[in-house]
Amino acid sequence: MSTVVKKTVHFKINGKEASAPEGTVIIEVAKQHGVEITNLCYNQKLKPFAACRTCMVDIRTPEGKKELVYSCTQPVAEGIEIFTSTEETDRYNGACLEMLLVEHPLDCPICDKSGVCPLQDNTEALQLANGRFEIQRRNEPSDKSNPLIEFYLNRCIMCGLCVRACDEIQGVQALDFHERGMKTTIGTANQEPLDCEFCGQCITVCPTGALLDMSSQERGLAALFKTNHSICGYCSWGCTVQIETKKNKVARFVGDETNDLGINEGNLCAKGRFGHGIVHNENRIKSPLMNIGGTFKEVSWGEAIQTIVDRVQATINRSGSETVAGIGGEKLTNEESYLFQKLFRGSYGSNQITNLANMRAPYVNRFMVRCFENGINSKPVTEMEKSDVIFVFNSDLPSEYPVGGNSARKGAIFTGSDIIIANPRKVILKNEANIDIRLNFTLGSDAVVVNRMSRILIDQGIVNTKKIKSAVPNYDELVQSLASYTAEATQKTTGISDEVLTRAANRFGRTADRYLLIGNDIFDTGQGEDILNALLNLSILAHHGAEGSVSIFPPREHCNSQGVNDMGCTPEFLPGYSPITDSSALSSLASEWGVDSLQFSSDNPANDLLRNCADGTIKFLHIAGEDPVHSFYKGSEIKNALQTVPFLVVQDVYMTETAKLADIILPTTTYIEKEGSFTNMTRHVQKVTTATSPQNQSRTDHDIFVQLAEVFGNKLKNSSVAEVQDEISKMVPIYKGTLPGTKSRQWSPEGFKHAPCFQIPGAPQVTQRKKDFPFQLVSNNHMFHIGSYTQYAKALTDIGPECVAELHPEDAEALGVNDGDRIVIESSTHKVEVPMVANTVTVKGMVYLPKNWVEIPVNMLRNGEEGPVSIKISKAN
Amino acid sequence: MEAKETEVDDQDAAEEEEIDLAPVHEILDSFPSRNRRYLIPMLQKVQAVYRYLPDKALRLLMEGLELTRAEIFGVISFYPGLLITEPGKYIIKLCYGTACFVKGANIIANKIHETYHIHPGDTDEAKLFTLQTASCLGNCGAAPMALVGEDTYGTIDPEKSIELLSAYKLEDAPEQQAEEAASE
Repeated sequence: MSTVVKKTVHFKINGKEASAPEGTVIIEVAKQHGVEITNLCYNQKLKPFAACRTCMVDIRTPEGKKELVYSCTQPVAEGIEIFTSTEETDRYNGACLEMLLVEHPLDCPICDKSGVCPLQDNTEALQLANGRFEIQRRNEPSDKSNPLIEFYLNRCIMCGLCVRACDEIQGVQALDFHERGMKTTIGTANQEPLDCEFCGQCITVCPTGALLDMSSQERGLAALFKTNHSICGYCSWGCTVQIETKKNKVARFVGDETNDLGINEGNLCAKGRFGHGIVHNENRIKSPLMNIGGTFKEVSWGEAIQTIVDRVQATINRSGSETVAGIGGEKLTNEESYLFQKLFRGSYGSNQITNLANMRAPYVNRFMVRCFENGINSKPVTEMEKSDVIFVFNSDLPSEYPVGGNSARKGAIFTGSDIIIANPRKVILKNEANIDIRLNFTLGSDAVVVNRMSRILIDQGIVNTKKIKSAVPNYDELVQSLASYTAEATQKTTGISDEVLTRAANRFGRTADRYLLIGNDIFDTGQGEDILNALLNLSILAHHGAEGSVSIFPPREHCNSQGVNDMGCTPEFLPGYSPITDSSALSSLASEWGVDSLQFSSDNPANDLLRNCADGTIKFLHIAGEDPVHSFYKGSEIKNALQTVPFLVVQDVYMTETAKLADIILPTTTYIEKEGSFTNMTRHVQKVTTATSPQNQSRTDHDIFVQLAEVFGNKLKNSSVAEVQDEISKMVPIYKGTLPGTKSRQWSPEGFKHAPCFQIPGAPQVTQRKKDFPFQLVSNNHMFHIGSYTQYAKALTDIGPECVAELHPEDAEALGVNDGDRIVIESSTHKVEVPMVANTVTVKGMVYLPKNWVEIPVNMLRNGEEGPVSIKISKAN
Repeated sequence: MEAKETEVDDQDAAEEEEIDLAPVHEILDSFPSRNRRYLIPMLQKVQAVYRYLPDKALRLLMEGLELTRAEIFGVISFYPGLLITEPGKYIIKLCYGTACFVKGANIIANKIHETYHIHPGDTDEAKLFTLQTASCLGNCGAAPMALVGEDTYGTIDPEKSIELLSAYKLEDAPEQQAEEAASE
């Protein structure tokens, strides 16, 4: 909750006593008290608008004066009496609705909103079956000029919800009212094809089916579809999606705006809403495949599993358990991740399991644990919209966590949340915050910015240093280490004036509920750990030295990047972050799993998996649902490692670059065919449900792990999803009470030791550019793509068809290229040719290149370089 | 700022290339601040310079006022007076108010269509006339009435409306026409 407390006012609604915070509009209060008021244009996520004029109520002021007001704009006041659905208000509300019905087509049987249509509901509520007016239907053709969102404006009732959602929720403003009077329509500028973020929020809020999802051919009333709620399987924000199926086939994804359902209030992004084309897809791996002499031959599941188990057994017998290793995918459910490490630790006796995020940045989990040790537990992300300040660090929210951007905008409008954005790129986040501070620092100077902010907090007494000193033992050491972060030195390194940094520090430091969102870009700076430490120090200062709260979340990329670590798919931690050498945790796992004893060394080949694959230490590698050949930052090293490792098992949905190197490929399922739970980056454990059965011969990762254990001769006592969840609840204390995930509850960090401590930073430093490579390459996910599946979703390749490099207009001019021209990007190890576009988001001397296209392997350009990749660019011939 | 258009671009872009955008910068700077509240007067001033709102000028306004394309077009399409295509040399504002309509404004419109093949909102091929209808020009006693360019005409005989227009030529100076029209 915001630290600004609102007054409570008391009033009566239809004779009943009620109370609400000052400023709440009547329609909202009524809803909370179970009183429905007719309306067509109200949405609690949006500012009051009063377009439809069908929500009139009758109020009596404390002085007894009668007033007819619109309940969506009128706030409650002390002592008023509210009467809803009186004869008089019904007459007025009904008259407005009748006018709409004159034009509105009655094509309800083929309308997507039929059954969930407020126009239907209100017509029924106001008993307007027999209209008084002559019907005059509009008959305009529907507009399908963009690939995803159809405009069928005959059904439009001009409520403006789409225009407002586009503006207030998404900050895009691609839609507006055009013309005027009778001719008014909703649409794009000059009727040009829609070109936007394709979040589809307009489809969600449209009450009447005037905006339609074209990624689906299926049309018709809601009751024809079977619906279930699940969690999106793309980014780590963890949005609840409503999956609608017809005859066991996925038809479409819908945002469900029901209160308290998940964390996203029905908001989705392009990937989450339109990316379902990966389920029923011809390109999926259809059956298990075995690599025989360089070609893949279809084999039966029995043969595939038996071959794997034989190989594991032989490897263990010959070379020992620890030569068998696994990479747990960040898209596995918690249950699957748990089973995966159980298979390795319990059955194979090997601790050599890891995940790609951990391979890249093992310090992220340590950072999270340190937050807990410092007492920073972080509030649920559902509260972010009620926070006072949101600090977005090195994240392009609309691309990285689009729905996080939605919450931030809502906070800015309804709570007055202030926004601070720190990023080397001039990322766009349109919002209505009163204070919107942008820290566009020099690429690579992230930690310097944060450390300077910490010093400002201390120097200017914005935080109570006495309190901090008594709470954190090494406070003095921190103060000393910050000495070199002077205003001049910082401005020189970061390019930001101390005045701006002081404003930011002030806003962050003073009494507030603070949310700190960190982007995955920090890993590509080569200073990820320093940056996280700096942010941790800043948070500790605010946590101990100022009123309010701090919520800070480690950056996570994929849908279950958090969960796969929680479940112990790392060589460092057992499930629930018990150290791998924790003997009591090991013995309770051993007794639960029915094995004699578990004992592991803290020295693990999986800590340097690539080298140990390449030098022959690791002889068997099982990759569950990842494509490191395309995505891991050490491009050629990973390829070499996977080509060298004697036996490689890959389970995945599509024939990825990694799968092509496998000895055995097991076809697995997408998140849409799975059951279990995902844990999002803010630790909300949420239920994933099966919308359709596994396609072709594919099996869920869950089933595959259970079968491997069984054939290995270690039949699992608990094998169903529910049983595994029970086991997790028992063995992973932090997950107690969070499963099966229907409550979207955040796991709370209990059982971590209390050890407040600053992480002492070194002197300011910035990565240097290589000679002859004057540009720096920055890369992350494209707005419409993430991971290795979105490229197979037709809807997403329609809107994000090709990899386009972005550069600053002046650099483009110097190079003599215009938008659409092709350029060559060359690093010391690789060269690619791509089309370019100039924009001012990218700063001078920087090239931004999305990493999602297999034919443009950004990881080969990077090839192990930790910081921004030094490159040179030239015009393509 | 001067992005060079390649030849592949369509003709419109090539035509736009010749527009001098300095007045737009001046207009943006002539207001107390770059705030969207000044959008309408800015649009009027831009149109006063170019006779319509060239796309490039609009892009500058969008950038300067932090408006999206949909927003700026939402405003432009609300006001029939704001034009996004270059109008003919003379804009005919034909009054479609009640009195003028009863007195045959639609007959005049039909006549114009017969001769110049334009409906309200259109510009004829020669770019001589752009026809617009007006809700009321405020001189109902002289119905039907119309404005042609800067000239006002009242109690027009619908049958003779074409003769009146034929006095306007692409080449002639407007003063000359006005004199001719007055002498009739």
